[in-house]
Amino acid sequence: MYAIAAARVKMSLSYKSSYLITLFLNLVTITMYFFFSKLNPDMAIFGISASYFEFVFIGLALQFIVGTSLATVNGSIYNEIVSGTWSSLLLHFNFAEYAIGTTLAGTFLASFSIFISLGVSYAFFGFSLSVSVIQIALICLLFLLILLSHMVISMLFAAFTIYYQKNSGLVQLLYQLTKTFSGIVFPIALLSGFPTVLARSLPLTYGLEALHNVILSENIQWEIVQRNGLVLLGFIICIGVLSFILVSKSIKHSKKHNKVDWY
Amino acid sequence: MNFPQTPTDVAQQFTNENDSVSFNSGLKAVFIRNVKILWQYKFTIIVGFVNTFIAASLFYYVSLLVPQNTIAQDGYVVSSVSFIFAGAILVDISTKILMKSMNSFTSEMRQGTFETLSCLPFGLKRYFVSEISFEVVYGLVISIVHYVPVFLIFPLFIGFNISWSSLLTLLLLLICILIFFFSLSLLAANFTILVKRGREIAMVVVGLIHLLSGSLFPLDLFPQWLQVIAYFSPMTIAVRACRLCLFGNGMITSKIVWIAIIALIVSSAIIIFLFNLTYKKIYNRIREKGTAHEF
Repeated sequence: MYAIAAARVKMSLSYKSSYLITLFLNLVTITMYFFFSKLNPDMAIFGISASYFEFVFIGLALQFIVGTSLATVNGSIYNEIVSGTWSSLLLHFNFAEYAIGTTLAGTFLASFSIFISLGVSYAFFGFSLSVSVIQIALICLLFLLILLSHMVISMLFAAFTIYYQKNSGLVQLLYQLTKTFSGIVFPIALLSGFPTVLARSLPLTYGLEALHNVILSENIQWEIVQRNGLVLLGFIICIGVLSFILVSKSIKHSKKHNKVDWY
Repeated sequence: MNFPQTPTDVAQQFTNENDSVSFNSGLKAVFIRNVKILWQYKFTIIVGFVNTFIAASLFYYVSLLVPQNTIAQDGYVVSSVSFIFAGAILVDISTKILMKSMNSFTSEMRQGTFETLSCLPFGLKRYFVSEISFEVVYGLVISIVHYVPVFLIFPLFIGFNISWSSLLTLLLLLICILIFFFSLSLLAANFTILVKRGREIAMVVVGLIHLLSGSLFPLDLFPQWLQVIAYFSPMTIAVRACRLCLFGNGMITSKIVWIAIIALIVSSAIIIFLFNLTYKKIYNRIREKGTAHEF
């Protein structure tokens, strides 16, 4: 697992321009919403005791990492299949090692975006954050749950990629849905009808709701943190088990039909 | 037949347009080829509807956060939903055209077909113009089609009223914007074949255009120094002029509108001049270095 993580970090660093541009775009998005926040959206009516920029900053800083953990396993496997290295990897590693290793590498690099966003917002946008030790512990725990929940979704999509040897683009679609409906740039209290159902089907909605509560509320509402943490944990277990079953079946199928790699 | 001896000879032979088919025939061939390729990716077109709808939803809900749901700019007051959508749709469609153009050259280079296409006796410049023309037309048509469900579902322009003169001015502005993005795509594609980072360059340009054009907010919210920088992008004044035509009865005689038209035409002319100046040099360079493909 560590070997895969180290190899993936090295590989990602060889695409420095791509990585730096994603970081840059994340900052551009944060800047855009900083100026939008100058229109003074009233967050109190949604029960949020913070300014709009404080609210939106948390989701935007997380966006890059969520996107990375959502795309990594599926995208990496697709690239391995196309470049013909997937069969060789299957000989040396099991799927769990591969999935965790690639996600660790991706999110390790993407996590720099959080610190860079914090630094830029502190230096230029007057954004400051003071958190206690308990809050830091809760943030780390929720962060881990958010990462894992998106990793298992990527593993689920990987099962289909291995089986059909095609990248359907559905991960990208799910990422768009997550960016829009999980409460990154507006509170989900604005939604009604089907969009609410959609929002409540996305794991980031629960993670962000808990994170907003931990970071922005004067008093942490433990009930919300506990409930949302459990929802994320349940999500990880259910989707994780399902994805392992489907991936095993897909690998067996591709071995049986002698089409592990693309050609 | 004289065989070329040096890379410069090769470039000269393949950029020779004298013995080639007419421009119209070549353009038609490029269009037919690209339509056939796109037909293989039907699913992407369907996904495009969903992606556009999701992006529009984001803009819709964000616009509901604006206090009193109204925004004032250049002497008119309009609903925040209409204001944000007018800017966001315009920037989104224009930047999609740019993305498609750059992605097409990146794909040709990655798949190794760029070398073949650029070596046709049709002529390199003609090929560039044909390929970008297709991407501009396709990008425009498919983006508008993708927005149809959005217009039908979201109450974007309720109580919206526009005079004929403003509408004609708006159409003129839109044509100028198209010409600007056509020329920008031409130059950007030229640099794509040199630095092989079409997607990345396009993402940076698109991100900056989105930020600086004030698609989400009035430009008065920028500090003075950033407003000065923002107006270096012709899209900033273009978006402002289009909004004036849509909501403030802007006409060709309005200062913002004619400045926008002149800015777009002058920038397009400069960009096309730069393209003419650089395309052969860039092509010679990649041939000499043997980097016509992207690895």
